[in-house]
Amino acid sequence: MTALLEVRGLRKHYRAVRRGLRRLFARQQTGTVRAVDDVSFVLQAGQTLGLVGESGCGKTTTARSILDLVRADAGEVRLDGQDVRPVLAGTDRAAMLAVRRRMQYVFQDPYLSLNPRWTINEALREPLRVHAPQHQRDWGDRIATLLERVGLEPRNGVRYPHEFSGGQRQRVGIARALAVEPDVVLLDEPVSSLDISVRSQILNLLAALQDQLSVAYLYISHDLSSVRFISTHVAVMYLGRIVEIGAVDEIFARPRHHYTAALISAIPVPSPGAVDQRVHLRGEVPSAMNRPAGCPFHPRCAAALPICREQVPVLQPMGPNTQAACHNPA
Amino acid sequence: MGALRFLLRRLAFSAALILGVSFILFALINAIGNPIQILLSETPGVSEEMIATLSRYYGLDGNFIDRYGAWLWSIVHFDFGTSIIYNQPVGELLEVYGLETLKLQLPAILLSTLIATAAGVIAAMRQHGWADFSIVSSAMLGHSLPGFLVGIVLILIFSYWLGVLPSYGAYSTRNLMMGSMVIDGLWHMVLPVAMLTVFNTATLTLLMRSSLVDVLRQDYITAAWASGLPARRVVLHHALRNAFIPQLTYLGTLFGLMLGTAPVTETVFTWPGLGALYITAIHQLDYPVIMGVTMVITVMLVVATLLTDIAYVVIDPRIRLG
Ligand SMILES: Nc1ncnc2c1ncn2[C@@H]1O[C@H](COP(=O)(O)OP(=O)(O)OP(=O)(O)O)[C@@H](O)[C@H]1O
Ligand code: SF4
Ligand SMILES: [Mg+2]
Repeated sequence: MTALLEVRGLRKHYRAVRRGLRRLFARQQTGTVRAVDDVSFVLQAGQTLGLVGESGCGKTTTARSILDLVRADAGEVRLDGQDVRPVLAGTDRAAMLAVRRRMQYVFQDPYLSLNPRWTINEALREPLRVHAPQHQRDWGDRIATLLERVGLEPRNGVRYPHEFSGGQRQRVGIARALAVEPDVVLLDEPVSSLDISVRSQILNLLAALQDQLSVAYLYISHDLSSVRFISTHVAVMYLGRIVEIGAVDEIFARPRHHYTAALISAIPVPSPGAVDQRVHLRGEVPSAMNRPAGCPFHPRCAAALPICREQVPVLQPMGPNTQAACHNPA
Repeated sequence: MGALRFLLRRLAFSAALILGVSFILFALINAIGNPIQILLSETPGVSEEMIATLSRYYGLDGNFIDRYGAWLWSIVHFDFGTSIIYNQPVGELLEVYGLETLKLQLPAILLSTLIATAAGVIAAMRQHGWADFSIVSSAMLGHSLPGFLVGIVLILIFSYWLGVLPSYGAYSTRNLMMGSMVIDGLWHMVLPVAMLTVFNTATLTLLMRSSLVDVLRQDYITAAWASGLPARRVVLHHALRNAFIPQLTYLGTLFGLMLGTAPVTETVFTWPGLGALYITAIHQLDYPVIMGVTMVITVMLVVATLLTDIAYVVIDPRIRLG
C-alpha cells in the first residue's frame, strides 16, 4: 500500500557564513547547521504523526522543506507515491497547485501568520482565489461554512486579526489551511504560543475536524502530553535526526531511546504524591552547529557506552511498531 | 474615538502649531531691527524723516503686539504685504514662484516614488543577487552625493558636452524649443527634475528595499506562498502595501520639505522658484517675502504631516485613532 505521505532522506543544511567585516572579528568563521539530516517517515491517510523535540532540533525546517517553503538539499517527499519536490519547484503551475492544495500548513504564531491589514474574509479568500477561481460566487458561503466549522461567527469575518484573541486567530489559521480541503495538514506547534486555557480547546477542535474530514496531521510540538492526546504515531527528533519513531502507545509505554525516555519522564505528573522518577537531562543542549560525533545524545546520556562516542546509531526495529537509533536501548 | 474627533483634534493641533511658528518668526524678524533703517541708513540723501515715513508705510511703527496682530490678521486674509525689492504684492510673488517650484518638485516626487518602488521590489526579490547589489550600491552613491554635485554633473554632460538640454531658466528667452511654449517649458524641466529625482530616489529605494525584505520574511507571506499564490500577487498585493507604510513618513517629509531642496536646485539651475526667491530675499532683507515664504513652508510641512497621519489611519487598521 502506498502511503499518503512518505518522506525519504530529507536533508537541509544551513551554512552559517559571516559576511563582510564581521568575518574578521568572529571567532568561529563558518559552520554548518545540520537543521534536518536524513529524515524519513510515513504518514497514512487519516493518521496523526507527532513530531517532537527540543527547540532548534529542526521540526519547522522539516515541515517547511516538505512544502518547499524552504528548499531542501536532498530527499524525496512522496504524496501517494509521487515525488512532489520537483513538482513544487518546477514550472508546471497546474501540477504545483494540485500538490499545494493537498498539503497545507498551520503556523506556530497566529499573531504573525495573518496579514494585519487584511480582514479574516480577505485572508480566507486568498487560497480560494488560487484553488477555486471558477467558483467565485460560492466563496462567501464557503468562507462562512469554514468559520463555523472552526467555531467562529461568520459575521466576524469582516474584522481584522488584531480584534481577535490568540485562540481565535489560530482558528482562522486552521480555517485557512482547511479552505482548500487538503489531505495533509502540517501543524507547526499550533498551540504552543497560546494560553494554557485555550490549548485544549484548539486540540479538541483539531481532533474533531480530523474525525469529520479524515485529514492526516503532522503535529509538531515539544509538548509530549499534547502529542499523546492527538497522535497515532510519534517521531522524536534530536539535532536534525529522528532518533525514535513508532506507534504512540508503544513508545509511551516503553521508550527505547534514552532521549525519548528523558522527554517522557519530564511530562508533569498530575497526581499529588507521585514518586518523582524523572530522568533529568544533564549537560548543556548542544547546538546544531557542533553536533557531537557518534550518537549526538551521548554527552547527556546516562547509559552511554564507549561505542556511542564513535558510531552513529541507525534506526532499528525495537518493537512490533517502533524503531529507535540507540546502541544500548532501554 | 471617532474619525471626526480625531480629525478635529489634529486640525486644532496643526492650527496651534502654525500660530506658534508665526509668532516666533515675527519675533525673530523684529529682533533684526527696522529693515528700512538698515537698508537706507547708508544711502546718501536719505533723511530720518523719510525713513520714518517709509516705516509707517510698511507698518513698522507701533508696539510689537499690535504689529504682530495686524500682520496675523492680514496673512489669514492672504495679504502678505508688499515686497520691498520687487515692489509687488508678496502674495502674487508666492503664487508665481510657487508654481515654478511645484513644476519641479511634484514630477520629481512622483517619478522617484515610482522608480524607488520598482527598484526596491526588484532588489528585495533578488536579495543578494547582482541586481540587488547594483541597485543598493547606486542608491548608496546617490544618497551620499551632495545634490548640487549631481546637478553640476548633469549640466556638464547634457548641456555643456552634448548640448541637448538647457542648463538654466524655466523658459528660453529667444528661440523657443521646437517653437512651442509647452515643449520649451518641459525641456527646461528635464535637468532640474532629474537632479531632484536622483536625490529623492536614493533614500526612497533603500527604505523600500529594507522594509520589503522585512515584510517578505513574515509568516503571513510564507502563508501566501504556501497557498500557491503567484509571485506577482504575493509581492504586489500581500507584501507591498505593508512595506509601503514606512515610506509614507518619508514621502510626507518630502512634500513638506520641498522648500528644503528647492533653494539648492533652483540656484544651480537659476530656476525662478520659491527657493531662489527665498535666497534672494534673505540676501536683500526683503522681510515681507522672507516671512511669506517661511509661512508657506510651515503650512506645507504641517499639512503634509496631517495628510501622512490620515493616510496611516486609512492604510493600517491597527492604528487606534487617538
Ligand atoms: N534560515 C536559516 N538560516 C540559518 N539557520 C537556520 C535557518 N532556519 C533555521 N536555522 C537553524 O536550523 C535549526 C533548526 O531550526 P528549526 O526552526 O527547524 O527548529 P525547530 O525545531 O522548529 O525549533 P523551535 O522549537 O524553536 O521552533 C536551528 O539551529 C536554527 O537555528
Ligand atoms: S546510542 Fe548510546 S548515547 Fe545514544 S542514546 Fe543510546 S545509549 Fe545513549
Ligand atoms: Mg519551529
